[in-house]
Amino acid sequence: MSQATLGRVSLERGRPASLSTARPPSRLARIFSLENLVMGGAIAALFVLVVFPLCFLLIGSVWGDGGFTLEYFSEALSGRLYLQALLNSLVLGAWTGLFSLLLGLPLAWAVARTNVPGKGLITLTANLSYLSPPFLTAIAFVNLFGPNAGLINAFFRDVLGLPWLGFNIFSMPGLVLVTVLHTFPYVYLLASSALQSVDASYEEAAQILGASKWRTVLSITTPLVMPAILSGVLLAFVNAIALFGSQAIIGLPGRIVTLPTRIYSLFDYPAQYGLASALSLLFVVITIAALYLQRSYLAKRSFVTLGGKGARPQLMDLGWAKWLLFGFCLLVFFVSIVLPYATLIAVSLSKSWGLAFWKGLTLEHYRFVLFDYDVTQRAILNSLGLATVAATVAVFLGAIIGWIDIRTHIPGRKFLDYAALVPLGLPGIVMAVALIQFWLSMPIALYGTLAILLLAYVGRYIPLGVRAANTSLRQIDPTLEESARILGASWVHTLKEITLPLMRPGLFAGWLLVFVPVIQELSASILLFSSSSMTLAVAIYNLYETGYTEPVAALAMINMAIIAVAITLARKIGGGGIGKDPDKAPAAQGGTA
Amino acid sequence: MASITIAAMSKSYGGRYLQMPALQDLDLAIQDNQFITLLGPSGCGKTTTLRLIAGYVTPDTGTIHVGDRLVSSPAGVVSPEARGMGMVFQNYAVWPHKTVYENIAFGLKLRKLSSGQVRDKVEEALGLVNLKGLEGRFPNELSGGQQQRVALARSLVVEPDILLLDEPLSNLDAKLRERMRGELKQLQRRTGITFIYVTHDQAEALALSDQIAVMHAGRLQQFGSPFEVYNKPANRVVADFMGLVNLVPGQIRSVNGDSAEIEADGGLVLAAPRPAGMAAGAQVDIAIRPENVRLTAEPGALSGTVSELTFLGNLCEYVVTLPGGRNLRVQTHPLQQFAVGESVGIVIDPSQCSLFPREPSADALASAA
Repeated sequence: MSQATLGRVSLERGRPASLSTARPPSRLARIFSLENLVMGGAIAALFVLVVFPLCFLLIGSVWGDGGFTLEYFSEALSGRLYLQALLNSLVLGAWTGLFSLLLGLPLAWAVARTNVPGKGLITLTANLSYLSPPFLTAIAFVNLFGPNAGLINAFFRDVLGLPWLGFNIFSMPGLVLVTVLHTFPYVYLLASSALQSVDASYEEAAQILGASKWRTVLSITTPLVMPAILSGVLLAFVNAIALFGSQAIIGLPGRIVTLPTRIYSLFDYPAQYGLASALSLLFVVITIAALYLQRSYLAKRSFVTLGGKGARPQLMDLGWAKWLLFGFCLLVFFVSIVLPYATLIAVSLSKSWGLAFWKGLTLEHYRFVLFDYDVTQRAILNSLGLATVAATVAVFLGAIIGWIDIRTHIPGRKFLDYAALVPLGLPGIVMAVALIQFWLSMPIALYGTLAILLLAYVGRYIPLGVRAANTSLRQIDPTLEESARILGASWVHTLKEITLPLMRPGLFAGWLLVFVPVIQELSASILLFSSSSMTLAVAIYNLYETGYTEPVAALAMINMAIIAVAITLARKIGGGGIGKDPDKAPAAQGGTA
Repeated sequence: MASITIAAMSKSYGGRYLQMPALQDLDLAIQDNQFITLLGPSGCGKTTTLRLIAGYVTPDTGTIHVGDRLVSSPAGVVSPEARGMGMVFQNYAVWPHKTVYENIAFGLKLRKLSSGQVRDKVEEALGLVNLKGLEGRFPNELSGGQQQRVALARSLVVEPDILLLDEPLSNLDAKLRERMRGELKQLQRRTGITFIYVTHDQAEALALSDQIAVMHAGRLQQFGSPFEVYNKPANRVVADFMGLVNLVPGQIRSVNGDSAEIEADGGLVLAAPRPAGMAAGAQVDIAIRPENVRLTAEPGALSGTVSELTFLGNLCEYVVTLPGGRNLRVQTHPLQQFAVGESVGIVIDPSQCSLFPREPSADALASAA
């Protein structure tokens, strides 16, 4: 890095006369060079997107009628409603973390260390579960296990006459089930990559000293991969409690109010901004604490990547037991993928969802949401536009912030890096509250426009852009840029000709990482939308609330189709490498729909 | 202590359709209390051999006996934990979550020693590798050389009969490598443990070993003392791998008992030890080490022109062009200097030359040397 700066300075001092004017550029011209303008712009954008809204959230939580007050915090920490919401969120998070472990770890072990058949299927299951919008899974499960209309419950009650076999999805177990299906990939991906990358020689060294297989697992392998597993559990926890959609769809009918849904209800007329801000900050404290723990665990993960040169661990031959494990994998695949998608497809094609749904198959609901109903039409277009722009902006900003962090010595660049990571700890609804607090006190009327949604999306997902940029920048040797500069290329020219092309695969991967969650974003959108800035996820949620079961399913399938097309396109354009390691996605992720 | 006998051992890797032979028909008898080196370029099968001895890999054919005990055969292997060997890995494999003390004590605890005994033995092992005072450190607080010693101490403390070392010095810098080399050799002498040492560095092998097994392309090329493999290479692969060599094509003119008179292009005529079965008229390559050639100021029976001169500090290296145009690499004492373009006499010590049957493709290689 020091060479990077040195290279630049020496070039500017002794630039060959033939390449530019002999006179060095004036001081003013240097300050306003394109390089500094671009970097300054990126820094300013980060402040508007993240830093200012957070400051206003903080101020809003302690600033009541004309003065400093702790009234909001004291209410948030003493009101029964709020404490109950806090407790419910923690309970949900804890159960989800536990079950994510119970589901994710065996799958990870199976793939990384055994000869279980169908490893491709397991990877597919994990990736699809991670990509599926959790509120759509929730809607699918309501269609199956709703206490009255749920197809399976109705079947047990009306056909078999065994109502006690039914399962009420509107309950904590139901909420945990639906949430785990989205969060177990965090444990799976971190654990499987850790198990795969433990250098085999660590285990072999224990063996040759006389340790049995079992002893080796206990005293060598387990301590080495434990940080990664715990880290996955914490990520599952953080993500689980931030999901507004499933908690609203399943929790509210079951009278399980959680922090996101409680904050949401504070925006019913008359909106209680102060209390919402205080509650949001409490929420942030929990997620930041969990993420902090996760990061310190992850830091110890350097165990696993050490060595690296050694042989891969040998796969364990499970004999007949591999079919048991395979059965377990099939079950997970069935419950997390087949069941929800088959249900949504069936609902979307049925005239009216019920025990005899196959009798009147129709495409009418697709026609309705695509052509007849202007609200859903607009929502689809809005979401497509917003996701495209947000992903592009987030990746571009991320590239510049990453570049500043890695390639320059600007003072405060570490602060920038941290500021760009903060949104990882912000549940979507908290981001929305912060943006509302900020923009309501600005003279520009952004509330209710597409612009504030764009700000929310870019702000929420800028960490993914920065992460993608950092990863690819670290792989590009700075001398590649320096040699362009020494040949006389300007900063912008170098960026355009050398840096960005080399970063391209990484940036496309980052683009996809932002596009996919934005197209299904609900947690922040639900507070920020207006009838003119309707988005896809909000439209699905509103239609669901008003009881349009079948069109909701049609719209859900359209949502999934858009995601599938985006992934396919990005793979093609970005060339190789892209969708191939969505493994890295959750590890980098903090929040979702 | 234990001897190791490897008989007719082969191992292939690969999938269902493509099998890559890693090791073919290896016979090797390793005696007690020896420092043995498996030497060869990467992919020659040396690491496979080591892993076979350790029991991590099952052979496709052949057997390994340690003493009288059969430990490996295609039917099954005694697992590594039951072999009582020690192994030092290329990347050391010092467990990052255990302190130096815990790393070294691991094997002792498995052997159910009392905690007092464990402490004494660890203390002793730390002294042996000069790491006293570092027992509380974690591996990431140690230098590469120190980690390497932890790995050594961890293997030695359990008093194995056989210690396997997989390129243990390759990750160290040159100075440290030199020092550890000396320490390893001393350790082996002091403990009497059989060391089996894998390396691709011929200088390391020469310096350390009692016996060297030179391997190439999955086959054992020669097994002998450092002096033998260097000065009496069994074939041109060995000659070529063990340091610099000139390979000059020639023809046997006449045979006289154990000696053969050879004529090579450039007017080079010499009488060299004759390998068994080589008759007059045979096409051969003469292997001449650069240090076995002397240059003289007065032209002699054979002379040439100095075309390149490289000063290497402890010696001078010349490329001398023979009348036929063939180049000969020569190393001399650094104080004996000739200028480029100068005519010099060439004296070759024929007793140190080796003859190999000519291989059709060998010519390009020979002129490059």
